[in-house]
Amino acid sequence: MNVTDLFTLLPLLILGGAAIVVMIVVAIHRSHILTLTLTLIGLALAFASLWWIAPEAPRQVTSLLVIDRYAIFYTGLVIAATFAVALLCYGYFERHPGNPEELYILLLLAALGSAVLVASSHFISFFLGLEILSVSLYAMNAYIRAWSLPLEAGIKYLILAASSAAFLLFGMALVYAELGTMDFAKIRELVTASPDLNRAVLLAGTALIITGFGFKLALVPFHLWTPDIYEGAPAPVTAFVATVSKGAMFALLLRYFYWSGTHHFGAVFLVFTIIAIASMIAGNILAMLQTNVKRILAYSSIAHMGYVLVAFQAGGQLAVQAVTFYLVAYFITIIGAFGVITMISDGDRDADSIEDYRGLFWRRPALAAVFTAMLLSLAGIPVTAGFVGKFYVISAGASSAIWLLVFVLIVTSVFGLYYYLRILVALYSGLAHEEAHAASGAAMVSSSSLAPALSISGGVVLAVLTILLVWVGVYPATLLNIIHSTVGLL
Amino acid sequence: MAILFYVAGAVAIFATLMVLTRLNPVHGLLYLIVSLLAVAIVFFTLGAPFMAALEVIIYAGAIMVLFVFVVMLLNLGKRQVEQERAWLKPGMWVGPVILAAILIVEVIFLATRTGGAAMGAVEIGPKQVGISLFGPYLIGVELASFLLLAALVGAYHLGMGKPQKGEKEYGNRTDESRTAAGRDLVRAGADRPVGAP
Repeated sequence: MNVTDLFTLLPLLILGGAAIVVMIVVAIHRSHILTLTLTLIGLALAFASLWWIAPEAPRQVTSLLVIDRYAIFYTGLVIAATFAVALLCYGYFERHPGNPEELYILLLLAALGSAVLVASSHFISFFLGLEILSVSLYAMNAYIRAWSLPLEAGIKYLILAASSAAFLLFGMALVYAELGTMDFAKIRELVTASPDLNRAVLLAGTALIITGFGFKLALVPFHLWTPDIYEGAPAPVTAFVATVSKGAMFALLLRYFYWSGTHHFGAVFLVFTIIAIASMIAGNILAMLQTNVKRILAYSSIAHMGYVLVAFQAGGQLAVQAVTFYLVAYFITIIGAFGVITMISDGDRDADSIEDYRGLFWRRPALAAVFTAMLLSLAGIPVTAGFVGKFYVISAGASSAIWLLVFVLIVTSVFGLYYYLRILVALYSGLAHEEAHAASGAAMVSSSSLAPALSISGGVVLAVLTILLVWVGVYPATLLNIIHSTVGLL
Repeated sequence: MAILFYVAGAVAIFATLMVLTRLNPVHGLLYLIVSLLAVAIVFFTLGAPFMAALEVIIYAGAIMVLFVFVVMLLNLGKRQVEQERAWLKPGMWVGPVILAAILIVEVIFLATRTGGAAMGAVEIGPKQVGISLFGPYLIGVELASFLLLAALVGAYHLGMGKPQKGEKEYGNRTDESRTAAGRDLVRAGADRPVGAP
């Protein structure tokens, strides 16, 4: 390890350094706005350093990390998403008594863990990055200690993530026992070079590793935690869990399975096909049965991860680009959707019942418009980023002739329309209905009306995200060019 | 050597099963310590004496100390004395003692035996562990320190006394409204009775 190696790690060093600086400042003087400013400066510096280190890529920094253009792109995506979530957190936690400052330390550390994940080329950095992310998320999920739902979410996430980490470690141990290496690229060499390997051990190890991935990505049948954690965690934290944690994990999924060559095993391919189909069907059908907006988005995220798996199954360069494009669109959309939820939640509870959104258009037209755009993008309606993403995924699937997956994707997308439209109908239904509803006394325990003060930071984030959403939807060439010139090199 | 490995492995598995099935946390804890000691012997027979020492010092040692601390921090009174007397019934310590006795026989055998290689091809000493930790895996060590930092900050926040007065209690609608609101095929914690904590 020399100076150039350290230099290429600059984004990670800045993220880690920012976490420590924020921690020390919080210890000396508690101030929400100061903490937020330092966090944003740290994230902005880390983002800017990506351009600085780009000429050095690709570079293997010890055997643990590889800083190539793919890693740089995804690190940038992680940092940008964390930036947006931090801004949303400010408005949200400003309304809550109690200390909001530690959240930003955890947010920076979680971003560091994600950045390690997308750059890892070795089981050790894989596991450590995953654990830094998970441990930060346990505390972030349970951040509001006075509420029981966040605490429940934190405990559930802790237990399930810890057991899935145990599966993952055992899988890594089996692969290591068989091959004697933990380096992704060396695994490929050994798998292709020596045909007399014990395939059973290798497959068992890979299956357990898939369990670890499946848990973090909330793929069926490892999805049970998703609705409860989405519902229980504070809305901006849910946005983080749904985007950064899943996006970083998917980036690693691509790198691990393409680099190690284990994706070409027939059994592994079959397992991923089954998981993708199950995720698309179960996610969409269970989402239809929900009346809680956060739970609807949770199940829809399960379905969306199934869609991305279709592109992953296609394999090849087109697949990498389709996955990346879809994830970027998904990041914009989900942060936007949870941003709206954050904005209309107040200090008493999160706005998660569909009743909270009834007639939103007449009360807050701008927020309703943003939410509409995000939901249409999730449903894959043209002129939004989600449409281009889905189109790209389908074309990747079609080019590899995996027709079954493409067919399931299209059919289940139609189911998906139903529950997105249900929220949309609630957004635009008249106020008269709401009053009648309240008068009839049928209001649920949770439907006391919400009256939050809208935050400026959150408003700016939502405006920028909506512009990005439409821009990528109408004119995707810019993003496509960036993706083509960076991740095309995995 | 192989026999020692398998015996210690069997003890570890059995003790861990007992940890999982004990209802009294103190009983489980005793089995957990035995399990960790057994894993230490497994490491030793595999040719990693340094790992074995760390396992005993950090896991078995630290857990014991934490346990003692927790007991000391609890308010001790007459009721606790009676409870401790109840804990000291033979039924509680006989199991762990038998398992520990098996392990100590193994340790005596290992200590008195002369020569003979470990099961692994080479023995890994502290020097080699240190060289690889601060050589190729330096980044791993640094990342582990950030992992501990995240755990520390999280534990600090979650363990910081009672929620402040201004923080409103909310969310005790956990089960009723959610079972009514959402229908899932399978739910985590679905077997829990409604209203249970």
